[in-house]
Parts: sequence; structure tokens; C-alpha cells
Amino acid sequence: MRRNLWPTIARLPLYLFGLTMLVPFYWMVTAAFKPVPELTKNPPSFVPTDPTLDAFYEPGYDPDQRGEQIVSGLFQRFTDVPGGFGRFMFNSLVVATSITVLSLLLASLAAYALTKMDLPGKRFIFVVIVASMMVPWQVSLIPNYLIVRNLGWLNSYEGYIIPALAKAFVVFFLVQYMRSIPDDLVHAARVDGAGEWRIWWRVVMPLMRPALAAMAIFVVLNEWNNFLWPLIIVQSDDMANLPVALSRLNASNAFNPQHMAVIMAASLLTSLPTVIVFLFFQKHFTRGIALSGIKG
Amino acid sequence: MRLRRALPGYLMLLPFAVLFVGFLVWPLANSLYFAFTNYNGVKAPSFVGFDNFQRLWFEDERFRKAIVNSFVYVAAAVTLTTGLALALAVAFRGTSWRDRIMRTLFFLPAVTSTIAVALIWRWIFSGEDFGLANTVVGWFGAEPVQWLATPHWTIPILVLMAVWGGCGYGMVIFVAGLNAIPEEHYESARLDGANSWQQFWYITLPQLKPVTTYVVITSLISAFQIFEAVYIVFRAVSTVGGVQDSGLMLVPYLYDMGFTKFQLGYASAIAWSLFIIIFIVSMIQLRVTRALREL
Repeated sequence: MRRNLWPTIARLPLYLFGLTMLVPFYWMVTAAFKPVPELTKNPPSFVPTDPTLDAFYEPGYDPDQRGEQIVSGLFQRFTDVPGGFGRFMFNSLVVATSITVLSLLLASLAAYALTKMDLPGKRFIFVVIVASMMVPWQVSLIPNYLIVRNLGWLNSYEGYIIPALAKAFVVFFLVQYMRSIPDDLVHAARVDGAGEWRIWWRVVMPLMRPALAAMAIFVVLNEWNNFLWPLIIVQSDDMANLPVALSRLNASNAFNPQHMAVIMAASLLTSLPTVIVFLFFQKHFTRGIALSGIKG
Repeated sequence: MRLRRALPGYLMLLPFAVLFVGFLVWPLANSLYFAFTNYNGVKAPSFVGFDNFQRLWFEDERFRKAIVNSFVYVAAAVTLTTGLALALAVAFRGTSWRDRIMRTLFFLPAVTSTIAVALIWRWIFSGEDFGLANTVVGWFGAEPVQWLATPHWTIPILVLMAVWGGCGYGMVIFVAGLNAIPEEHYESARLDGANSWQQFWYITLPQLKPVTTYVVITSLISAFQIFEAVYIVFRAVSTVGGVQDSGLMLVPYLYDMGFTKFQLGYASAIAWSLFIIIFIVSMIQLRVTRALREL
């Protein structure tokens, strides 16, 4: 009995620490459902006594009546953007999914050519790709901004998506994984008369599924949370993604605690999709990270 | 003949290669050039030699502040995150439902939107008496603190955010590393009468060295690139780096110089300084680990 008890006792502080991990999330969720007067009460209520959806949508809100206590719900803000907050969710979704699909396609094509084909110069190309990973991406930020500006892509989906497709890390990772696929499979397909494109799509891609899943998770997370690049290329209101919209909501309202319910409601809606996806595909997340050591 | 057979291969490589050169290699070359010029994005860049680096490294007080802040922040954040991640991995490496729930819990911040998390911390550290942090210090009888407006609290808050957000990621890597250690090592150690502390010290730690190096280096690199936390949590009306630049770090300074002051040449010099620092620190870290291994 004594042998089994000690590890549990030693772990007790870590269990408590695990509970404190949840505190910020709890504080966000409760704030999103508290009515404004309760939000600024001292001492704060730890369980919302009178939960309300006003921070999301306030039915009784009257735009002409702008008193101290009257603040609109999240979906009633951003009146100059058609669709309001929903537009930002749409932008984030479009950008994250298209970058993920396209960059994985391009990277797996490149990885196939670099591992399974006999290309003169491929070693050199691979070395350049790996070397580029050593440079922090912020180094290319300013020239990329100028390039996108000169192409007229500021404030556009092109500006979000196209520069984000050149992901050296994804190629590097897929090359590593593809090396574990036996060359004999590819040779056999060639002998059967299959073209390279067909072999890539029909033979190699199905075997790459675990690697592709890991990279898809990595890219989706990064793009959903991407902030610095959208911050500099988005100037109009309607092209913001969720992080930029959150930052603007914060910049215009944060000095008045009454707006905190709306800001927390927006934070909740921004974090929820990735958290839900994580809870469903947890195994893939942790396996992918252990596999590739990527920083999510 | 060989080239002809290779043609589809080059075609497959082409789309990626074009984007890679156009949006990575070419911008990097440009950035290096800008770093040696005076450029505001409108007039053509004029070559100034090492002037930007000279000014940056030897004369610029704000840059010095950014460097000092970065090193203090990185040292504290990386040490605490790695230590905690290792402790969590050892404690919750198992396959029982309790361990799995704990791992999920600790990993949750890694999948939550960075900006949303920063806003939550801003709300927690609100300076009013009803803020959560002030309520907690109130229980111990302390007066409310203006957390976000007091310079010496800036870095501790950023470190807390980094540890909270980063320990789960390190934990996952450490768990993978722990599970890769052969069980026989422990069995023979137990036969020799080693207690669990000795097992940890003489088997687990040495075996985990490559994993630890990996976790430390990736955490170092990402800690040096901190931007969102500073930008969102310590956002004031006109400054990027918090009160009296107490949270000014490399990327926020780069953003400030490049995109609010439009000194693009100077900002490029900051960007390359970031690369140099990360490069040197990772090299030192690798050397130290190698030296330790040879001991």
C-alpha cells in the first residue's frame, strides 16, 4: 500500500497545477456569459449568477441609444462589414483550408520528385530547402510585404494564400517520410507502365496518409492562428481574419472593461474550432508532434 | 536521355520551386540587401554599408533594451518550460485515463488561438480591483496592482504566459522520448538495487539528452520570435513594446520600425540580427550538449 501511495502524493501538486491550467479558459467562458454589471463587480462572481447571451447577440440593442451601459453583442458589431463577425470566421476558414490543401499538394509533388525520381541536381535543391529553414520567417517579412503590395494583393485572399504556399518545412518532412516508402513499389508501378503523376497520386499518396495528416494539422493550426502577416497585409475591415479582427476589437474597446464580455465571446468563438478538432483527433496531434517535432 | 526521363520530375517540382524562390529565396536576398541600405518603401533604396548595423548594435538604446529583455525572457521561459515539461512527462507518461486526461489538459493551450489566449491574460491581469489577478492577491491582503502598467511586471507576465502555453508541447515530446527508453535498462538497474531517484538520474536523464536538446532549441527559437503576447497584452495607445518599452523584444521592435515608422532598411537589419542571435544561441546550445555528452 505504501508503495502505491507515494507516487500519487508526489503528483498532487501537478494535479493542482493541471487545474490551474484551466483557469484562464474558465475565466474566458464565464466572462463571455456574464451581463455587463456583473462583469465589473468587485469581488468578481466565479459562477455567472445570471448567464446571458448578450455578448454574442443582444436582442434589445438599439443603435440610436448609446448610453454608458449599452453595448451591442458581437454579431451586431462591425456594422461596416457585410456579415459582421461571421465574415471574419469565413475568411479564416477559406484561408486556412485553401492553404492547407494547396501547400500539401505542392509539397508532396516536390517531395515525390526529390525522393523517387532520378533528377540531376536534386541534392542541391534539397540542401537549399533545408538551409532556408534555418532563417526565421520574419526575415523575409518586409520584402514579401513589398512584393505583395507591388502585385496588388494587399487586402485579398491571394495575399493571404499564395505567399504561404512555399512551406520548406512541409517538403522536408514529407521527404523524410517518403524515404521510408520502398522504391520497389514505385519501380513495379513503372514497369507496369504507370506515369509518374499516376504513381504519385495512386501509389505514394495513399501510403503518405499519416505524414499528410500530421502536416495538415500543423498547417491548419498555424494558419488559423496566423497574425503578423495578416496584420500587415490587411488594411480594410472586411478582409481581416479572426486574429486580426480580435486585435482590432481589443484596440478599440479594451480600455473600457464593459466591452470585455464581447472580447471574451470573440476569443471563445476563435479558439473553439481548433480545440474541438483537437479533442476529436487528439491521437493524430500528439503522434504528429512526436513524429515531426513541430511547434504547433 | 536521362534529362528527358527527368522532365516530369522537374514539372512536379516546378510549382513549389517557383513559389519557394519567389516568396522565400528572393525575399531573403532582398532583405539582406535592404539591411545595407536606407529605404522607406517609396524612394529607391540607397546603399549605406554597415551603417544600419553600426547604429543598431552600438548606438540604439531601444535595441539594447530589446536584446536585454529578450535574453531575460528567453532564459526564464525556456528553463521553466523545459523543467516543467519534463516533470509533467515523467508524471503523466502512462496510458491510464487519468494520465491521458492530464496530458490533454496540458496540451490544450498549444491548440488555442494565440491572440485569444493573449486577450484572456489581458483580462486576467486587468488593473481594476475586479480583475482575477487582483482578486487573488487581494485574498492575501495585497493592494490591487496595475499589472500591465508596471514595467517590472511585464517580463514575469510574459514568462508565465510562455510556461502556461508551452509546457504541454514539451511534455508531448518528452513522453515520446521516455517511451523510447528500453525497459530493460530499468530492470537491470532495479536488480542492482537502484531506487527510483537513481534510476531517473542515471538512466532517464542521460537517455533523454537528445530529446532535451531538441526541446530546448525549438523553445529557444520560438521564444526569441515572441510577438503576439507583447503586441496584444501590452498594447497601449501608441507604443508596441509595453510601458517604457519594458516588453520590447526583437520582433515587436522589427514591426515597430518596419510597419509603423517605415524604416525598412533599418528593420531589415533588425531581422538579420534576429537570425544571427538565434543561430549563435542554437550553435552554443549544441556545443554545450555535445561537450556534456563527452564528459
